[in-house]
Order: sequence, then structure tokens, then C-alpha cells
Amino acid sequence: MSDIIRRDPRAEWIARNRLHPLHAAMQPQPQQWMGPHGVVRKNPHGLGFMGPNGLKRIDRSGAQQGGNVRRTAAAEAKLPLHRVAEPAFYIAVVPDMVGGRLGSHDRDLLGLAHRLAGQEGAVLAVIFGEHKESAFDTAGVDRLLQIDGSEFEGYAPEQRVQGLRAVDGQFQPRHWLLPDSRSGGGELGRRLGASLGERPATRVWQIKDGPAGSQCTGRAGAGQQDISRALPRLILAAAECAEPVDETRHEVLPVSLHGAVARSLPRIEDLGAVAVDPAAIPMAEAEFILSGGNGVSDWALFHRTAEALGATEGGSRVAVDNGHMARARQVGASGTWVTARVYLAVGISGAIQHLQGIGACEKVIAINLDPGCDMIKRADLSIIGDSHELMLALIEAVEQYRHGAKREAA
Amino acid sequence: MLSVILPTLLFASLALAAFGALRRIALWRRGRPAQVDVLGGLLAMPKRYAVDLHHVVARDKYIANTHVATAGGFVLAALLAIVVHGFGLHNRVLGFALLAATALMFTGAVFVYKRRLNPPARLSKGPWMRLPKSLLAFSGSFFLATLPVAGVLPEHFGGWAMAAILGVGVLWGVSELFLGMAWGGPMKHAFAGALHLAWHRRAERFGGGRSTGLKPLDLTDSRTPLGVEKPKDFTWNQLLGFDACVQCGRCEAMCPAFAAGQPLNPKKLIQDMVIGLAGGNDARFAGSPYPGKPLGEHSGNPHQPIVNGLVDADTLWSCTTCRACVEECPMMIEHVDAIVDMRRFLTLEKGATPNKGAEVLDNLIATDNPGGFAPGGRMNWAADLNLKVMADVQQAEVLFWVGDGAFDMRNQRTLRAFVKVLKAAGVDFAVLGLEERDSGDVARRLGDEATFQGLARRNIQALAQYRFTRIVTCDPHSFHVLKNEYAAFGGQYEVRHHSTFIAELIQGGRLNLGQHTGGSVTYHDPCYLGRYNGEYEAPREVLRALGIEVREMQRSGFRSRCCGGGGGAPITDVPGKQRIPDMRMEDIRQTEAELVAVGCPQCTAMLEGVVEPRPAIKDIAELVADALIEAPLRANSVASSKREAAQVNP
Amino acid sequence: MSVKIVSLVSVGAHPTSGRARRAEQDARAVELGLQLVGDNLQVLHAGKAEEPALRAYLGMGLARLHVLEQPAGSDALPALAEYLRDAAAQIVLAGTQAETGEGSGMLPFLLGEQLGWPVVVGLAAVESIDGGVAHVLQALPRGQRRRLKVRLPMLATVDNAAPTPRQSAYGPAQRGELQAHEVDIFDDPLLAESALQPAKPRPKRLKVIKAKSGADRMKAATAKASGGTGQVLKGVSAREGAQAVMKLLIEEGVIR
Repeated sequence: MSDIIRRDPRAEWIARNRLHPLHAAMQPQPQQWMGPHGVVRKNPHGLGFMGPNGLKRIDRSGAQQGGNVRRTAAAEAKLPLHRVAEPAFYIAVVPDMVGGRLGSHDRDLLGLAHRLAGQEGAVLAVIFGEHKESAFDTAGVDRLLQIDGSEFEGYAPEQRVQGLRAVDGQFQPRHWLLPDSRSGGGELGRRLGASLGERPATRVWQIKDGPAGSQCTGRAGAGQQDISRALPRLILAAAECAEPVDETRHEVLPVSLHGAVARSLPRIEDLGAVAVDPAAIPMAEAEFILSGGNGVSDWALFHRTAEALGATEGGSRVAVDNGHMARARQVGASGTWVTARVYLAVGISGAIQHLQGIGACEKVIAINLDPGCDMIKRADLSIIGDSHELMLALIEAVEQYRHGAKREAA
Repeated sequence: MLSVILPTLLFASLALAAFGALRRIALWRRGRPAQVDVLGGLLAMPKRYAVDLHHVVARDKYIANTHVATAGGFVLAALLAIVVHGFGLHNRVLGFALLAATALMFTGAVFVYKRRLNPPARLSKGPWMRLPKSLLAFSGSFFLATLPVAGVLPEHFGGWAMAAILGVGVLWGVSELFLGMAWGGPMKHAFAGALHLAWHRRAERFGGGRSTGLKPLDLTDSRTPLGVEKPKDFTWNQLLGFDACVQCGRCEAMCPAFAAGQPLNPKKLIQDMVIGLAGGNDARFAGSPYPGKPLGEHSGNPHQPIVNGLVDADTLWSCTTCRACVEECPMMIEHVDAIVDMRRFLTLEKGATPNKGAEVLDNLIATDNPGGFAPGGRMNWAADLNLKVMADVQQAEVLFWVGDGAFDMRNQRTLRAFVKVLKAAGVDFAVLGLEERDSGDVARRLGDEATFQGLARRNIQALAQYRFTRIVTCDPHSFHVLKNEYAAFGGQYEVRHHSTFIAELIQGGRLNLGQHTGGSVTYHDPCYLGRYNGEYEAPREVLRALGIEVREMQRSGFRSRCCGGGGGAPITDVPGKQRIPDMRMEDIRQTEAELVAVGCPQCTAMLEGVVEPRPAIKDIAELVADALIEAPLRANSVASSKREAAQVNP
Repeated sequence: MSVKIVSLVSVGAHPTSGRARRAEQDARAVELGLQLVGDNLQVLHAGKAEEPALRAYLGMGLARLHVLEQPAGSDALPALAEYLRDAAAQIVLAGTQAETGEGSGMLPFLLGEQLGWPVVVGLAAVESIDGGVAHVLQALPRGQRRRLKVRLPMLATVDNAAPTPRQSAYGPAQRGELQAHEVDIFDDPLLAESALQPAKPRPKRLKVIKAKSGADRMKAATAKASGGTGQVLKGVSAREGAQAVMKLLIEEGVIR
């Protein structure tokens, strides 16, 4: 950034225009606020801005702006605290806690639990082992039960069921809520159902209160049908089953189990994760795909880039037709429909069939020479340039990053 | 001296040849029974040989004339030699006749020899290089031996030495020509070929007829094998047909898969079948191997499975069923039938349809379309067109068979264009709507006869409910199946390809057409319209009516090169050195046309899959629709010009 | 491998046409069984024996398929549990959930509970079976794998990470035998109280704007939806471009 202070007429205009969407962000820091003792405090230095000659100027027109005005988002308002002193009943939730944090599916579930709990009930979140979550309060957790112990670590579904059975015995929750997900919740919920002898409602996406009690609707069969039934005790809910909690804070009071959890005979032993070669991951499942098309001239470099990035390789139809890539690696409507989180497309102009095939990808990065191509319209980040040089630079950047990470670790 | 040697040699070789022939016939008889008119076929054979076969051979004038001289001379010479030298009927007239015959044959043989001096790659070498010399030896020796009979030379001219030389010459000649004919030498083609023509499995092809529909498999009889696993599972006349191959390699020169470097060579395939019929391995095959597959690694016998012994599966799946080989074969061998027979076994018994094949077949079973689209969406393309549906109207003059292109966004443009043309011409037409199913073309070419028959039966049932005079379709594959293959299941229809139908409309003056304005145009003949159904003229007629002078490709008409989209080839997707549509696009580029007119959704898809820049691809229906001058439009323009005039002169 | 393996199969439904077919995951269970023990695989179905879609499993090369004969809508669990208890199987394979009916995916767990067997979900491969203990690979999301040691006999479910099922061929499908067994019939109480209906499309979650001021609402209404149009870097050097790409990759956590 240069040191020359420049006027930004557009920013000034936005700052004056109260209807502009960016108006709030353009306002200077508050000049006066309530101090901790109820006294109004003022910041006399905050007033004004640095003029072009380095002199401080005060603009009375209300359009105060300047390069050194810090534009911070308004401080988050404190939400009201929801207290349940003496819970009449519990709604137990077992979130997936992928990566030790609440995921969006978990938050939806807590929102649903909150709805079922109403004012009298308390939402009891049961988690196993350590966590990294700091926002249990705004997610809607009234009581937090953390079950620790080496026997619950790793993949120990049978032992976890024992833990949940202990919770069931002690708290006798009115409902059990688990996410019907592939990250563990679906499995754990079904095991719990089989163990408790409860018939769960699965893939539930809607709960409605009716005159005859609550009804829940879940997907049935291969997702072509719905089944509605009276709300059972054990609910395995799909993602977006309810709105997450967003208007209240909750106490997150820790609770604990009284007795020790019964040890189950370890019939399934976790021997740990197996290293998977990114190249061997099926395309449809791969998380990060580096895909090449007609614009790639140096395929050896392409393969090196994929290896350096640790990406699964894919290709457009043309790349496959021309023999640069196996047919199983073709992305698109006539090849594989991919679901990668990051899809890096090199030299792919983006035929409609190809764009169809990457519809489910979260982030798409395009590297292409033609700024008008369809892939760039779809991409979240596009680099217009020569793919050869960019791939070389990418390899270098990754290596630097890895070196840096290593040095930090050292 | 010679009077002893010659009859001995002649009759000995004839006796051995007869023995060999019986042995060969026994080999063919290992095949399954087939319905054949034995006597009628034999009687029709000379005409089939002289007319139908010659018609194909005559595409190459040089070899046609050479063959007439050599083969004609040989047949005459052989008959006369048996009479003159075999039975010792030393008549002067017969002597001169024999001299003339051998001279004719000798002349022909000289040309054969010339051809073999620097043979093109498609010709087999090996024993075939020996053949012209043997022909020369036969004709030369008999010529010399006959000179005394004709009285040109004295009786014992040349004495012992001459007799010995002639004896050797005759021995060589009769061994190649009589023994070799029955014992598997190059001359086998004459013996097997003649019988093949007599007992051909598609007798309709002779006399200018056409028979291209695949023969149905009897699924109700549990004793019928599902396709061909071992050579003995072919019918005996198919085995006979394989033996008729002269290894001229015309099929090889025309085969798109061979040219693309896919592991298929029709000539080698037929020769492999001969190996399977007689037992042995392919090390001695003297022609081009399957691309990428060295010789000598495959062997077989009549009782051993063909696939992965004699022939690899990818060879069979490389075929696009374009029929270029069949069209080109002077012996009228049915390559495509054989390939589909073997595919049937792989699919119906082994469940080994490669790549996306299994998925496509599952989709056809579960959704009646190869893409697995919801069957209820079949008419979505025409949501705003107000098409009449047969279920509502019960009858119409024309039934418009939409085909599976209904699910393909590119093909929907063609369909909509054709509907526009039909409406402009005021044709009374209706569609089957949701009652229509895939015609079964792909399923059948992929060898899934069961799924094909299921689809065919249900389509025929749906069609039987309604009254219409003809079916019109934009898809040559559906066209072929409806016209030629449904008859075996009780569906006899009058079917038109849309190009034929538009040509008729134009002739009937029902379309008001302007001129095409989009630059120079070439036309790509779809295999299933051209070679399968002989329709080369109507599309060109339509293009002419649009004021287009077609820039013909070098390979057009019956020699049109396949786009690579037939026979399920894009589904089985066998890798080669290059892609067939790329080669076809190269053909198109050579004409320097800016646009290629097509008449098939498969061709459109395959050609549009070629990387740009390339000529544009448009269906004939689209070209016609673009050039339509609609009557109400003209009325409007007249009205508006009048109004303008009124404003100018108040 | 000489262990006895049983694959449980059901009648599936095609996702677009809804027509009966072999169920995708059950077919994978059969495929995995065939790869492990070949012709010794036993395949079991509870339902109607005359269902033609069952022949699609036979088409995978099975000589016979055992059917515990039940009318539609009955509870398959008791019949299966009783059969398996006597079958002396070491491994029972099943799909994760059925394509028709409730499809709750509970059956394997309930069977495991009744038989007292461990249940492994998402079986991708069996590496070894040795002295009553199997080493198996379990499929995790995103193509990851976990190795487990399981005591036999076990029940395992397979999902889409298991080997792709082989094509079903017409010939063997017609020749194979559907062997019906008579069993006691229990009704499923669920179907008495609730019925299946065509799936309603789920409402797409809207971004609920809880704005405090008019400006906020305006901002929310006019701001572009995230991911609508991306950032386009034009005329940057390869190094800068690569840095921008790296930044996003690191943010997304795909660079390890």
C-alpha cells in the first residue's frame, strides 16, 4: 500500500447515503459510549481524519471518511440468556462433533431439541472426549455431559452405546436426538435404538405438533417416499431438520454421570486409520480434485501438481478422449458426478455436461486463458493465465508452505 | 509318357480334393443347424456369383477384370483338362479350347502377379504371395501339355526332359488349385465361397435386395445357446461363410475401428473364426494384426470358448456395427452378425458388457431409456408444442417416433425443428408420448437380446392400439429397428426417416422453402440410414431443394465413414490411438465446408464432441426449419409494407 | 477362504422410475460375498419368492437364492434371526438400508442385537480371516479407510464404498433357482399406524434476516448471494495467482 492518502469519493458517497448497504461499514468508530460505571465516555482523538497534507481535519458535513478510519463490524449484541433452573425433563442430543466442533447438522439438531424442550425442559448435550467448541451457549446447550475415558476414544461404538445407556438410566430423557449422518451419528443412533429396544424414526426432516400429539415425517426407502408417524422417543434427524438456535444464549451447565459406565466386551477393535492414496480415492468421494482439460499442454506437470497438492486427479471429456486420463477419471454428466469440497479446474472451459457434474462442489477454482469461458462464471476464484506457469508456481507455493509448516513445527 | 502322368496326377488330386472337401464339410457341420434352401441355393449360385458378387468386386476394375480372366480361365481349363488329359479325349477342337482357356488364365495370372509385386497393406501375404506363381504354373504347364493335342507341336515334343518339367508344373498346379481348394490353401475361397453363396444366411441380399436386420435369438427355447461361446455355436452356414474369406482386406481398409487403432480388424476376425473352426493358432496369419495385439498369442478350436482364447473381448466391443466391412466384402460375409452373436454370449451369459454397458442396460430395463432418466419426462421437450398424443386422438396419418433423443438437450433442437416443419406442411401427426420406449437398438447391439425383445414387444403392443399409415422418425437407429427388426416380433410398419419424409413433402409442394444462407455444406451419411437402409438420395435431395450444392466427402454414400457412435461403441469405449469422430471430422474439413448436415442424433453428438474450432453441425430438419417461409409471416410482412406506404404518402 | 458367508438381499427401486430392481447396496453385499467365497456364498431374502426382480441377483452368477416366504408388509426380523441362528454363518453381509419400505437401516443392528453378534458398518473390504477374528477395512466419508479387528461371527453392512456389483446376466438369472422356505409370519406394527406417501420436496432453507435496522435489511437484500460470482484475477503473475489459489486451499483445509 502506498503512503499517499487519497480521497475515495465513492466511499464518501456511501458514508453519506444511509440507504446504501455498505453505509454501516463506512461509519467511523463510535465517538461516545457508556463506560462500565454508567458514565458516558468520549474519545476526543477519534474525531476527524488525516487530510492530504498530513494534518488532522474535522469534517462537519457528516461524510467523514479517510484511509485510516477503521471499519469494524458492530460488536455482537449480547443475546438474552435462557435459564432452566429445574428441568422438568431432558431432551438428550448426541452431536457428531466432527473435528471436535459442532457442525451445522449438530446445530440444526440442537435447534430441534430446543423446540422439543420448550420452556420447562433442558437440552442435554452428550459428548465423548475432548472438544474444541466454544459456542455451546449460543448453539442451545442447557446441560453439557462430557463422558471421558480412554475406552471411548477412537472408534468404539459399542462402548459409546454403553455410555448412552448410562445417560438413559440417569436422566431418562424424554427424547433422544441424534444426527442421521455418515459421520457416526446415524450408526450410533441405530445401535442405541437396537440396544434400548426403541424403534427410531429415521431421516426425520420435519416435526409438526398436532392435536393427536407430535408427528414426525422422515424419508423412507431410497428417498422417494415419506413416512409420517407419531413422534417416537429416539429420533435420527436429517440435516436442516429445524432452524438452529439463534436468539438465546444457554447456560451450558456441566453435569456428570453418577456411576461408572459398564464396560462392554471389545468385540470391535480400532486399529487406526489407513493411509489412502489420493489417486486411489473414488472420484465421487474425493474431497479435493485437480481436474485437467483441453488447456493443459504438459500432462507430466499436471500429474506432478496433483501429487504435490495431494489432490485426486480428474479430467474433462476431451482430456479423457485424447487419452491423457483414464475413462474412470472423467468428470461430468457422462462421467462421474463429483462432490469435492474444492475443485481446481485447469484449462477446462466448462461444457454444460461438465458443469452439471461439478454442481455439488463447494468451491471451484478455475485456471484458464479465456476470461469469457463458462467455467469462470461458475468459479469462486479464477486465475486468467497460462496453466503451465501457474502449475509450476503452485508446486513451488505448496512446497514453500510445507517447509514453513515444518519449520514452525520444529 | 505325359498321357500316363497327367491323368494320374489329375485324378489323384481330384480324389484327394474330394476327400478334403468332405473333411471340410464335416468341419462346417459342427455348427448349429440352420434353415437353408439347399437345392434352390445351389441352382441360384452361378447367378449370385456372376451378378451380385461381381457387382461388389467390380468396384475395383483392375481386380475385377483380372479375376474374371483368371477364375473364368481356370474353371474352363480345369473342366477341359479333365476331359482332354484325364479321359484322354485328344480332340483338336477341345485342344484349342483348352489352349484358349489356359492362355486366358495365364494372362489373368500375370496381372495377379503384377498386383502382388508391391501389394497394398490390406492384402494378406504368406501363401497368398505364392498363389500367382501357382496359377502361372498351372496354366503354363497345361498350355504346353495341350499344344501337342491341338496339333501345334508333334506328339512327343521335348522328350523326357519336357515331360518331367511339365509333370512338375502340373503337380504344382493341381496341388495348389485342387488340393489347396479343399485342404485350406488360398484357393479354398473358391470352393467355400461358391457354397457360401449358395447357402448364404441372408439370401435376400442377392438380386439387389437388402437384409440388414439382426436375426432374433429364440429365448423361449432353453436349448438354444444365448449367443456364441465356442465356434461350434455358430450356425453351420456362418462357419462356411468364414471359410469363404479371400483375405482381400477391403473390410480392413474401410473399418473405422481399425483406422482408429482400436484392436479390431474384420479380416483378422474372420480368419480367427476359421482358426476356431479348424483348430490352431494365429501365428501364421499373414495380414495386419489387430492394432496393438501381436500375432501368435491366440489359439482356439471348435470346442473352446472364443473370448480370451482366440479373440479378446475388446476386439468384439470395438465394432461400431457400421457395416462398412459387410458392404465392402466381395464374398458377402456377415461380420456384424458374427460380432453381435459373440457379444450376445458375453452379455447374456457372462454379464461382461464393458464400461458403461451394464449401467446402460440396467437403465433400459428400469427406465426404458439408456440414460436412466425418469420415464415421465419423455415429453418435457415438447411441453409448449401442443403435440397430439396417440392416446387422445387414436389415429393420425403419421406417427412421429421421437426416440431417446427426447432426453438430450441437443437433440431436442432437432426434434423441435422437425415439428416446426411438420406443422408448416400441415401434416396430420401424433406422438406416442409416454407410451414410447427406447427402440432397443443399443441393447441389441450390446448383445442384450432379452432387453431388446422386451422393449420391442412393449413398443409393438403400444403401436398396435392406434391407426396410422406410417411412422416417421429423426433417428436412423430407431428407423432401422422399427423397419427391419420389429417384423420378427409381429410389428410390420411403413417407416420413413425424416429426410425421406421431408423430401416427399417438398416433392408434394407442401413446404414453402427459401434458400440456405449459411455457407458451404457437406453431408455425412449415417450408417443406419445409408448402408443399412440404402437411403442416400433423399437427404441430398432435401439439401438441393434448399439451394445447397453438397461438397461430397471422399468417403460418402455407401463408403461413408462411421461417426463412431453406433453399436454402443461410445458406451463400451474401447481405447484406440485416435477417436473415430476426429477422423470423420478430418474428412469433413478436407471438403472445406463450413457446415456439415447430418441426419442422426448419434452422429450429431459424436461430431459435436470434436474439439472446436470445427465446422458447425446441423441436422437436416434444422436446416429445413431455418429456411422455412411460413405463410402467415408473409401475410404480415405484406400488411406492414402497405402500412408504411400509407404513411409515406398521406 | 472357507468361512460361511450369507448376504441378505432385498428388492430395490430404481431412483427415477421406481421400478423394482436389485437394490444397489445389497448387490454390493452379494458382490463382496462372491469375491470372498465365490460359489459358496449363500444369499437370503425375506419376502415374496415370485418377485421377478430377485432374478437380477441370480444373474450375478448364483445357483440359488433362499427366500423366507413372507407376504409384503411383514416383519422380516424374526424370520431372518431364526434362520441365521441355525445357519452357522461366520459373516452376514447386508446393505445399509432398503430402497423400499421404511428403509430405516435398523435391521442389521436389530439382528446383531438378537444374535449377539458385533455389527460393522460401511465394510469396504475383508483383509483376512484368521482364527475367528477378521481384519476388515471400514469406509469413512471422503474415501478414507479405517482398519478394524472384529470377532466372528459378525454382521456387516456395506455402502457405496464396497466393490461395484457385477453385471446381472440374463442366462444365469433365468436358470437360477428361487428356493422358498416356509417361516412364521409376524406383522410389522408400524405399517398399521402410518403409511408411505410420495416424498414431498423439502423446502430449501432460506437465509433468515434478522436485521435491526433498515440499512441492514437493505444490505441483506441487495448483497449478492455468496458464491454467485467469484473473484477473477486477471493480469496477475503466475506467482500471485498461485498464492491466491493456495490461500483458498489452505482456508478450506485441503492441503495437508
